[in-house]
Amino acid sequence: MLSLNWHRALSLFLLIAPHVLLGVLAVILYKRRLYREFPCFFVYVLYEIAKFIPLFALYSVQGVTGKQYAYAYCVTLLISIVLRFGVIDEISRNLFRESQFLKVAARRSLQCVTGLFLGAGALLAVYAPGGNSAKWYAGIFVVNRGAAMVQSGLLLALLLFSRFLGLSWRRSAFGIALGLAVLTSLDLAMFALRAAFTSEAAANFLDLLITGTYLVCVSIWIGYLLAPELELVSPTVVAHDEVETWNRELQQLIKQ
Amino acid sequence: MISQAMIAAWIFVAVAFFALGILVYVAIRSRTRRIDLEKAVQSFRSLDIEAFRNLVDSGEDAFLRDNLPPRKFREIKRRRAWAAFIYAWEAGRAAAALAKIGQAAQRSSDPEIAASGVQVAENAFRLRLQTIGACLHLLTEVLLPDLRSPSLPPLVDEYERAAETLFRLGRFSSRVQGLARPKSA
Repeated sequence: MLSLNWHRALSLFLLIAPHVLLGVLAVILYKRRLYREFPCFFVYVLYEIAKFIPLFALYSVQGVTGKQYAYAYCVTLLISIVLRFGVIDEISRNLFRESQFLKVAARRSLQCVTGLFLGAGALLAVYAPGGNSAKWYAGIFVVNRGAAMVQSGLLLALLLFSRFLGLSWRRSAFGIALGLAVLTSLDLAMFALRAAFTSEAAANFLDLLITGTYLVCVSIWIGYLLAPELELVSPTVVAHDEVETWNRELQQLIKQ
Repeated sequence: MISQAMIAAWIFVAVAFFALGILVYVAIRSRTRRIDLEKAVQSFRSLDIEAFRNLVDSGEDAFLRDNLPPRKFREIKRRRAWAAFIYAWEAGRAAAALAKIGQAAQRSSDPEIAASGVQVAENAFRLRLQTIGACLHLLTEVLLPDLRSPSLPPLVDEYERAAETLFRLGRFSSRVQGLARPKSA
């Protein structure tokens, strides 16, 4: 039986709670037929739930060594990183889908931003490799730190770009982007510290923070997907004579 | 002594929290931001396109270059470029507001308003991106007034196209209540 102390109890809660909520999120995505709009995000959510079951089993079973758990964790983490890139691509497609012009122009700009971030991530992995730990999984933390940097940078660029252009987000897409951006930003901080601090106490504390962050992000996703879509309407009264005045002004402007 | 790895780790933490701060700001602003057709049209109206055309006229620049001492020319060129930069910046802001209105109209149940909304949004996006190019171009002129740079992107044409589509949308919205909603008390 698992020996329970406060740290263990909190760890268990933070491990289990986000995945239960991910189950709720999957149901919401299915019920609201959002899996059609965001298939990659739906797969990501299902994958996160599916990967948790064997990982939690390995974590709980007495005979499993730390090394075996670390192997399994790293393999599943790498797949998660790939899926997150897919989700970001899906969000950007969703954002630009209503404009033929932006489909080409904005996506090309985003590809340039991706190239820049990937280059920066690769350089940082070489020149700022983290701690001097000989443990192989410290390398995985450096890889995840680099991926988190690229992903949070991309999402931030997407949010700022859309704001700059006056692009309107669908509430669901904005929620997914925001949750993922918070997750990747905090992953960047946590995995940078995880790569630098390799003592067991620091690792345990940072693991708690990482799982806690995950709980917050899943809550953001659920909150935004449950919230009703905001109607995009002008809050001003458009009086007929006022419109006529605008029309006259604009006609004059065009004639100039 | 703090190792290089530690410094790098804390820099990453700082970058991550900076990104988080921007995210929180964007999330809060997206909740409070409203589309104001009136304000967008007012900002569009307030721009004197003829004055802008004059400020970026390469013929005027050539005349000033030929008739003024280099130092005076640089000073005047900087002022003209800065004034044009402010025009372009304001046009960009108006374009962003118009893009929002265009997207709102795009979702209207009236096909005419929806079609007009598509045009407004597309023109506004084009204008917004062109104003970015124009602003960069004008900032270069502020910093390097002696540089003989190529002419500005067709910002004025794009501005007029956006104004034309806005005029069309205004005409539709005057007869259909789909786009407008009464202001809450």
